[in-house]
Amino acid sequence: MSEHSISSVPPTPTGPAPRRRGGETLRRLLGNPLGLTAVVLLGVIAVAVLLADVIAPFDPNYADIRNILSTPDLEHPLGTDGGGRDILSRLLVGGQTTLLAALLCAGVAIVVGLPTGMLAGYYGGLVDGAGAWVTNIVLALPGMIVLLAVRAAVGPSVWVSMIAFGLILSPGFFRLARTAVRSVRSELYIDAAKVSGLSDARILRRHVLSVVRAPLIIQGALVCGVAIAVQSGLEFLGLGDSAVPTWGVMLNEGFRSMYDAPLNLFFPVLAIALATSALVLLGNALRDALDDPTGPGSGGARAAAAAAVAERRRAGADEPDSSTGGHLLEVRDLRVGYPQADGTVKEVVSGVSLTLDRGEVLGVVGESGSGKSQTAFSVLGLLPGDALITGGTIRIDDAHTVAPGDTAVDQARLRPLRGKRIGYIPQEPMSNLDPAFSIGYQLVRPMTHLLGISREEAGRRAEDLLRSVGITDPARVMRSFPHEVSGGMAQRVLIAGAISCEPDLVIADEPTTALDVTVQAEVLDVLRDLQARMGLAVLLVTHNFGVVADLCDRVVVMREGSVVEQGEVRSILREPQEDYTRTLLDAMLADKPGRAKALAAPATPNPSGENLETTR
Amino acid sequence: MKSGRRILSAVLAVAGLLMASGCAAAGASTAPPGVLNIGIVQDVITWDVGQGHNGHRLVAFQPAYDTLIRREPDGTLVPMLATAWDYTDAGRTTMELEIRDGVTFSDGAALDAEAVKANMEHFRTANGPQAVQLADVAEVRVTGPQRLEVELERPNPALEFYLSQAAGMMASPEALGKPETDRTPVGSGPYVMDPARSVAGDRYVFRARPDYWSPDLQQWDEIVLKVLSDSTARVNALISGQIDATQLIPRNTAQAENAGREIVNWDANWAGLLLLDRDGAVAPELADVRVRQAINMAFDRQVAVDGVLNGYGTPTSQVFGEASTAYDPALDDYYPYDPQRARELLAEAGYPDGFTMTLPLPASMNENIPFIAQPLADIGITARITTVPPQNSQAELGSARYPAAYFQIFQGPTWVAVEQLLVPETLYNPFRSEDPELTAILDRIRTADPDDVEAPREMARYVTEQAWFAPWARMGVTNAVDPDKVRMEPQIGQAVPSIYNYHPVG
Amino acid sequence: MLPFLIRRLASGAVVLVAVCCLAFLLLFFSTDDVAVNILGEQATPEQIAAKNAELGLDQPLLQRLADWWVAVLSGDFGSSWFNNETVVGALAARLPVTLTVVAVAILAIGVLATTLGMTAAVRRGWADRAVQTGAAIGDALPSFMIGLILVSIFVVALPWFPAVSVIAPGSGVSAWVASLTLPMIALLINGVAASAQQVRGAVLTQLSRDHVRTLRSRGLPEREILFRHVLRSAAPAGLTVLSLQFIGMLSAVVVLEQVFALPGVGTLAVQATTTGDLPLVMGVVAYTTVIVVVVNLLVDLANGWLNPKVRVA
Repeated sequence: MSEHSISSVPPTPTGPAPRRRGGETLRRLLGNPLGLTAVVLLGVIAVAVLLADVIAPFDPNYADIRNILSTPDLEHPLGTDGGGRDILSRLLVGGQTTLLAALLCAGVAIVVGLPTGMLAGYYGGLVDGAGAWVTNIVLALPGMIVLLAVRAAVGPSVWVSMIAFGLILSPGFFRLARTAVRSVRSELYIDAAKVSGLSDARILRRHVLSVVRAPLIIQGALVCGVAIAVQSGLEFLGLGDSAVPTWGVMLNEGFRSMYDAPLNLFFPVLAIALATSALVLLGNALRDALDDPTGPGSGGARAAAAAAVAERRRAGADEPDSSTGGHLLEVRDLRVGYPQADGTVKEVVSGVSLTLDRGEVLGVVGESGSGKSQTAFSVLGLLPGDALITGGTIRIDDAHTVAPGDTAVDQARLRPLRGKRIGYIPQEPMSNLDPAFSIGYQLVRPMTHLLGISREEAGRRAEDLLRSVGITDPARVMRSFPHEVSGGMAQRVLIAGAISCEPDLVIADEPTTALDVTVQAEVLDVLRDLQARMGLAVLLVTHNFGVVADLCDRVVVMREGSVVEQGEVRSILREPQEDYTRTLLDAMLADKPGRAKALAAPATPNPSGENLETTR
Repeated sequence: MKSGRRILSAVLAVAGLLMASGCAAAGASTAPPGVLNIGIVQDVITWDVGQGHNGHRLVAFQPAYDTLIRREPDGTLVPMLATAWDYTDAGRTTMELEIRDGVTFSDGAALDAEAVKANMEHFRTANGPQAVQLADVAEVRVTGPQRLEVELERPNPALEFYLSQAAGMMASPEALGKPETDRTPVGSGPYVMDPARSVAGDRYVFRARPDYWSPDLQQWDEIVLKVLSDSTARVNALISGQIDATQLIPRNTAQAENAGREIVNWDANWAGLLLLDRDGAVAPELADVRVRQAINMAFDRQVAVDGVLNGYGTPTSQVFGEASTAYDPALDDYYPYDPQRARELLAEAGYPDGFTMTLPLPASMNENIPFIAQPLADIGITARITTVPPQNSQAELGSARYPAAYFQIFQGPTWVAVEQLLVPETLYNPFRSEDPELTAILDRIRTADPDDVEAPREMARYVTEQAWFAPWARMGVTNAVDPDKVRMEPQIGQAVPSIYNYHPVG
Repeated sequence: MLPFLIRRLASGAVVLVAVCCLAFLLLFFSTDDVAVNILGEQATPEQIAAKNAELGLDQPLLQRLADWWVAVLSGDFGSSWFNNETVVGALAARLPVTLTVVAVAILAIGVLATTLGMTAAVRRGWADRAVQTGAAIGDALPSFMIGLILVSIFVVALPWFPAVSVIAPGSGVSAWVASLTLPMIALLINGVAASAQQVRGAVLTQLSRDHVRTLRSRGLPEREILFRHVLRSAAPAGLTVLSLQFIGMLSAVVVLEQVFALPGVGTLAVQATTTGDLPLVMGVVAYTTVIVVVVNLLVDLANGWLNPKVRVA
């Protein structure tokens, strides 16, 4: 799980993998013990094989037929095979053919798959359709059978087999290139390049190649590994060219004298195992280095950083708690951080304090990255797994959910509160319902679990709840799956879910941001209505002062993890003390002139139609 | 959906027993006494007598099919289904056979002269791999209920031998040509196949036939032929007791002996090079007899015998073996190992710098590569070796694309060897080489008494001098048995013993 | 659901036809020596010509392809050229062996990979690192090499298992277990590694989805969220991985059967292609492709069933 997924920033569209600088990738790769092992192994193998002609003590086919199956000695460091040939020399020289053939295979797969995939991705339509069709057929081919047939048709040449196998593997590259090009194509800079008159070929070359380069290396390494395996398999079956020393041919010979001279089997097994493992490890490590910043390579430093924080927190555990007490929710000097690969801890919340009482609506306002959502998730106890509470406390009903000295939320304390005492309304309605379950199930299940009521009763209550959030046909909605309802409807369902077990506190994380403006107002109405009816305390996280003005009693303004100012909504709207608050307000006014009227209008938030009108 | 159920039960069983299986698996053979398990090297591709073959495949047919003539372990031909036979004319073109009375086939049909005639005609028309055995037959005439005459277009000194081989195997006339005989043999032999327990390509189970006409030849209650084409698999199966007898490759013999198995060895094949392109069609160098002789001198035959055959073999320069009247012990060391002289011969022939030739080699024989290529390299000849699948090796060898080839070939009686190696029609003579002097000798052998040794020995000497081949050795056959269970009697001129040569111990 | 099914079936059929035609084309070039292989060393040119005519090898390629299709569509896959065993019979005798090995291995991989992948994704930490490292190593060794290593240990050094298959018709469960355990383990070691890695990825992806956080906020037990919601959403990815593994195994088992001398389809395929036994090879190709198409179809159907969008449509 990565930390962006919980930030209030809408997820970036699935584009090309974030490009990193080559040096950074290399550093990550070598920092990973597996990656380092792979690189060193491949390096050793490559050098040994490249220098085979120099370092091999014998011609690989020179047979001292009067000295067969000899054990390792000074003259033959790995012994001789059944024909008196030097095993070391055969391994070294055989490696040339084996590895070159594997490279050929990967080369063919790339040369065939990459350009076709790029064309298919770039032009789409018929080209794409034809490519996909051929790809499906090739993927359905029983690969080994095809290679057997090729062997029967054209003879035992390892080169021919590997060209054929390269063709069989080319769909992998086709798909890779196609996906990459499609995502790049949808990006602006291609359009811009098009406008500036670059030819298609140059666009593809310049922009797309840079995107697919890294995945290409990963896939290429994996393909080389597979090619060595398959090539050795064919030769093991006796279908290779025994006259050309390769690792697979040696494997075949070694298998026959497995009992008399197990070393004859051992050395080629070792060579193949090392080479394929190194290639696969390299591919995996490279992928980790590119994609997964929490990969094994940086685990140590992160763990150390986390341990240091824990140590510091323990040391300060008996610091006096400046809590005032008596609040429903009290957050005191809360600090939240994430350990980094370099051993530091990056703080996203830096000393936030706020309180919330029963029936009160508190707005937390700030831009993306201000730490407002992190604060909310700390209260809910739903921070990502690697998050650390680096300071402060949280108390609900005067009981600690984050006690002094804790580096994580006390789940044992929070778990019984969630759903029953604390409800949660998420930002993005469609992604917050499980698409695989009906809406009815998702509403009913928490009630049967938490309230211990029967499914029938829970069903009736769910229908009532849906009605209370303004859904006119609850039975139909209950039967529906999430993809069958609109976003506004889904958000009403989520609100119903949040209050289904009658919590005292609801945490609403940008509850209207993802909705279109008409629906926004309706949903705000529902929220306001419920809050009033049920006497809920609401912690409302938003970037929108208009929403704050609509709903909130008090407001906390956050910036870069800290509280800028807080107070009564009316006073802050009228007389903001801080420049930052003013900037936020100005931005809102500039953006949404309609909302200005609502702000200018005094006091009680105005329900009913007027807001609808103004935001239209 | 029988197989479906089998899969399911196997799946369940395997899943359940995965952990406990370790000990249960060992010592798999729980065969009752009287069961002979033989590991056979090649699968039986059909049980149709018309497709009968020699060597391994001949022996696989023997449980089910009797032959007209039986060949004793020492090569003597004795009555079996034919009680008597002889040529009725001086030119040796008409043979009369007396057929045993009272023999029935496993389907109940009786053996009579008509049945024999039907079999011979089926053999001649079935286009089988040994069709050559009756190729000289002009007509088969039934002259009595149990008597018939075979008339030849020209004399064939090997006819009697062939009647102890594939051509002599008799199937029920009811079954001849029926597609079912591809999978199930119907013969008069000592055993009957149990189709329910047999799987094509894997194992063939034969049960002793009640009331068999010659109980002496029926020594087992049951014979199981298990197909094991991989040599390592055979030795493993022998050691673990899954099979009681099989043929090993020389390299595996020590392992078998260490496990208490007995190696029964005799020479039955020859191994070495066939110098096929004697007219120089694809390799002009080979047209010069000195080049062929030089190749013969390149090999230290004892090294090859030790290296490839683990010592199970006898170095020789001739292709004829002890089963043949052509065999002449004096020719065994006709070409001594003399690379110096070989280079001189090459230089005399005009190739002081040697030359390059391409040889096909079955993948299954690839351990021979160093022993072929290195000695040739030592006298300046570069041998390019092309690996071919074992199943295609004969076709490749006979394709006239290769000037020479390494192979291992069975050593039969004289005329069999002649038809196999020397006549222009044979696969082993793909360039159709002919030599007037040799043809004259062959013509004399054709009409001579089969026991006469003078012309055959002249032929052997001539072929060796002309270096049509570069043999390495007569090859041991390295059969192996479990001596506590089986006594194996060697069979001269045959790589594996006839089924009658497996005797129960105790 | 029905149009979806029909569409998938149609595309499966197209793939099948295309693959069979391609294979036929390839094999056409390897049938030169068939007659000689069948007839042996002393065949005369007349015999060979007669054999070629008998097998239809004197016909032009398209004619032969058309003949094959006509026969196959009427249910006749023909007989082996070398032993007149019917193609269907040959496959029926060998498929149980191969499919047992592959199916049991796939089932075991499914269970193990799910367990390991889930553990790694949920626990992270050392469990995660262990699974990832194990995956990389297991994935790196081809199954036949693992087979070779298993043979050298459990057959050669410790003779716990028979060296060659003891499976015969009517042979009991113990023979199947004895013969198939090691090859299954070889496939398992190779496959479980990669699959666990993929399951881990799929579970991590699912765990990071918004609705999982919302489910947690509703107070549902973690166990229920993992097994009912996360596992279910990760299942399509897992099934796809397993189907790819399955297809890969059909190739891997060809070599593996040789290591263990198993009388399976792989052995049949090697033997048939090297002899140029066209009807048998075509049978193997057709059956394998059908299996691949069917497995893909089943996975599509399962994924469709798991995905309400497709299910309802």
